Amino acid sequence: MTADAFLFWFLAFVTVVSGLSVILMVNPIYSALSLAMTMIGVAAIFVTLNAYFLAGVQLIVYAGAVMVLFVMVLMLFDLKHEIQAFTRGRLTGAIKIASVGILSGLIVGAVTMGLKTPVVITASSDVAAAPTVDTTRALAENLFIKNVLGFEVLGVMLLVIAVGAVALSRSKGGTHARD
Amino acid sequence: MLNHELLIAILLLSPLLGFFINGIRFRSSNYLIAGAVATVAVGISFVSAVLLFLQLVDLSPENRRLAVSFFEWMAIDKLRVNAGFVVDQISGIMILIITGVGTLIHLFSVGYMHHDKGVTKYFAYLNLFIFNMLILVLGDSLLTMFVGWEGVGLCSYLLIGFWFSDSAKAAAGMKAFITNRIGDAAFILGMFILFFTFGTLNIHELNGLAPTLVESSWLGAVTLGTLMLFIGATGKSAQIPLYVWLPDAMAGPTPVSALIHAATMVTAGVYMIVRLNPIFIVAPNTMMVIAIIGAATAVLAATIGLTQYDIKKVLAYSTVSQLGYMFLAVGVGAFGAGMFHLMTHAFFKALMFLGSGSVIHGMHEEQDIRKMGGLKKYMPITHFTFLLGWLAIIGIPPFAGFFSKDEILWLAFSSPSGHWALWAAGALGAALTAFYMTRLMALTFWGKSRVDKKVHPHESGLTMTIPLMVLGLLSIVGGWIGIPHVIGEYLGHIPNYWEHWLEPVIKKLPTSDAIVSHQTSTEWALMGASVLIASISAITAYWMYVVRPGSSEKIKKAIRPVYEVVNNKYWVDEAYFSWIINPLIQTSKSLWYYIDVNFIDKMTFKVADMAMGGGSFLKVLQNGNMQQYAMYIGVGVVVVLSFVLMR
Amino acid sequence: MLETSIFTEITLNHYLVLSAIMFSLGMAGVLLRRNLIVLLMSIELMLNAVNISFVAFSHYMGKIDGQVMVFFVMTIAAAEAAVGLALAVSIFKRFKEVNIRFFEHLKG
Repeated sequence: MTADAFLFWFLAFVTVVSGLSVILMVNPIYSALSLAMTMIGVAAIFVTLNAYFLAGVQLIVYAGAVMVLFVMVLMLFDLKHEIQAFTRGRLTGAIKIASVGILSGLIVGAVTMGLKTPVVITASSDVAAAPTVDTTRALAENLFIKNVLGFEVLGVMLLVIAVGAVALSRSKGGTHARD
Repeated sequence: MLNHELLIAILLLSPLLGFFINGIRFRSSNYLIAGAVATVAVGISFVSAVLLFLQLVDLSPENRRLAVSFFEWMAIDKLRVNAGFVVDQISGIMILIITGVGTLIHLFSVGYMHHDKGVTKYFAYLNLFIFNMLILVLGDSLLTMFVGWEGVGLCSYLLIGFWFSDSAKAAAGMKAFITNRIGDAAFILGMFILFFTFGTLNIHELNGLAPTLVESSWLGAVTLGTLMLFIGATGKSAQIPLYVWLPDAMAGPTPVSALIHAATMVTAGVYMIVRLNPIFIVAPNTMMVIAIIGAATAVLAATIGLTQYDIKKVLAYSTVSQLGYMFLAVGVGAFGAGMFHLMTHAFFKALMFLGSGSVIHGMHEEQDIRKMGGLKKYMPITHFTFLLGWLAIIGIPPFAGFFSKDEILWLAFSSPSGHWALWAAGALGAALTAFYMTRLMALTFWGKSRVDKKVHPHESGLTMTIPLMVLGLLSIVGGWIGIPHVIGEYLGHIPNYWEHWLEPVIKKLPTSDAIVSHQTSTEWALMGASVLIASISAITAYWMYVVRPGSSEKIKKAIRPVYEVVNNKYWVDEAYFSWIINPLIQTSKSLWYYIDVNFIDKMTFKVADMAMGGGSFLKVLQNGNMQQYAMYIGVGVVVVLSFVLMR
Repeated sequence: MLETSIFTEITLNHYLVLSAIMFSLGMAGVLLRRNLIVLLMSIELMLNAVNISFVAFSHYMGKIDGQVMVFFVMTIAAAEAAVGLALAVSIFKRFKEVNIRFFEHLKG
């Protein structure tokens, strides 16, 4: 077993277990912490895939900003008790679990059956052969030349989102608020 | 000089603008502003009508036609209708009458309606009426005319039911509207027939396309089409069998009765036939029907007028009767005489209605002539002008009515399609007219006062008496432009301006030589006879109601059964109710109950129940639970994905 | 031999399976949890699962575009979290409740 393989299995184990605990923990604060763990795991997986820049962004944006946001909101709500963590309803619950299970089974089955032979890394690849710094450079070039319009649009959208989020959280709540 | 297109635009749009201005501020009860706006709007129309008429006079007789087309209204295959308007010899006179009499009546209304809360609304309706009436007379195609035709019907309905809080008055408005609907349906049918026959609705083209051969069959296209148009005219112009709405229409304000139900709207039928005279003239059967209906209406309405005690009802039946004369005239091919009587009638009948309005106003809303009498000394101006109208309507020379009525009677006798029976009916009608109008004068103005002690009659203000005086003057001189040849020759070659004016647009009957064969002495004799009959009848009435006031009651007793029949208006309304309206209502009720409620409704309810059943089954899925919705997405993804992968 | 190669040799399939499993976990969370905030977390989980497959494809196919897409997804995800939480805050302030069942009352 090589180091690469060991790393993958280890990280896969970490992310899946922490992902499971996100949805299974009754107290939402534990769910949030598990999610942070998952984020870190995903960042590490990005590193194994040579996407160093994205790994950094993942850590900063997700494990940093977004998680802080979640935890802050949870603290703000100060939920003393979770009355019921999971939805009721046996039939719908069964259908939900079944559909999730079948879906994952289908995807996994399709992936393993359909892609029997591993994809060959093509010679002309601009990622695999390239050293660390060049991946980031290639990403930057792609982002700022080929997809510059999308990038700009995203910037505008973020501005709108920021204003909207502030406006929403400042409102008294509900469209028929009187006081 | 303004060009005629602009003038026509001003003529039409000025009352419309007045309608919009008063219509927007309809809540106002300031009668001065509303009256000023409306009167000035119609006044501007009158000025442009006069200018247009002067332009028309300047043209040579063959080309007297000022046409304008503002835009293409509709173009469907062959049917091409423009928003086109024509001022020619006929419509030129009509616009003068409408805007001229209209202005006077607007002025009168300022005084008459000043105490009314809805005065602004009233003037808005009145202006809208003038606008629609102008569309009716100026429209260059039957369809454009029909727009105005319907528009005046609407305004008539609105104004009859103007005091709609009184349910009887609202019902009168409804009656007028529905009765007119019957006629209008026939009018539309007539338009269809003419369009399918000639392929156009343009009046000028229709008149040009009119066949040269007389159509003797009853079922010919022209005969059927013109008959349908005539039924439309009986609705609008209150002829047998559709005259029943006009007496009830007196529920509206009196100036409205003067303007709409005497001077202008009700003459639309006559006007329409005169406009289309080349078409009507080739359908002698239609012409015969028109003449007979006209004569019958003239006599029938006059007999009913003998027994009425409501001052406005008497005038209403008189209007129906006089309209009968006009139809008699056009029915015997005397289109010019019909138009002539239309004009003089507009003058003296508007005068009499306004006079009655002045009386009603002075008597504080009293309309029963049994409670009047001796008003002469309280209302000198009203009495004097009313006197002029009375002389005009009973046909005393040289007042306006004499010339027009005499012309009609003479042509009813001498025209190729005339008949001595038609003349006799007309003369009988004239005698009856003289009788009931004298009776009205006697009971209202002369004799001893029967006025309630609490009521103090007073003369009306200037805004009301000025129109009376102007119309009084017109009732004297209005007939002088159409002096018959025999009198004209006798007085020293006074030409018949009226006949010359209308000559280019009026077709003569195919065998017009026959007129010449009659001796002038015959004409003198008939003229003398009709004047004599009217005079005797008027004197009799005077004797009965002024000299021996009680004698009328004795006569009433003596002819009790006949009097009952006439006093109840021949039970025409009752007959309509029991033979037409009630069966219709019964049929509709049974259709409603058996077809609609028990069949169609039940079917639709069944379908609705099925839909609701299906809905209640499916609505469990749509329960607002977002996670359940997410589940549907998940299940859907699973199904689609497995379908894709299994393939 | 085949058995061992699955464990020792890490291919694109491994990452895709991992991605699928994480996606299913996120979906299960969305379907089953009732706390609005946990729901949002589960959505983040699903987005991350997709990100993994993007980066894995990018790596194995030798195209950088997948990573650019991940960049975009992250931005959107962050924005979505911000708006979602703002909504949650305003709803909580109004009704003192973050249970997803409460949203049934909004169906009208």
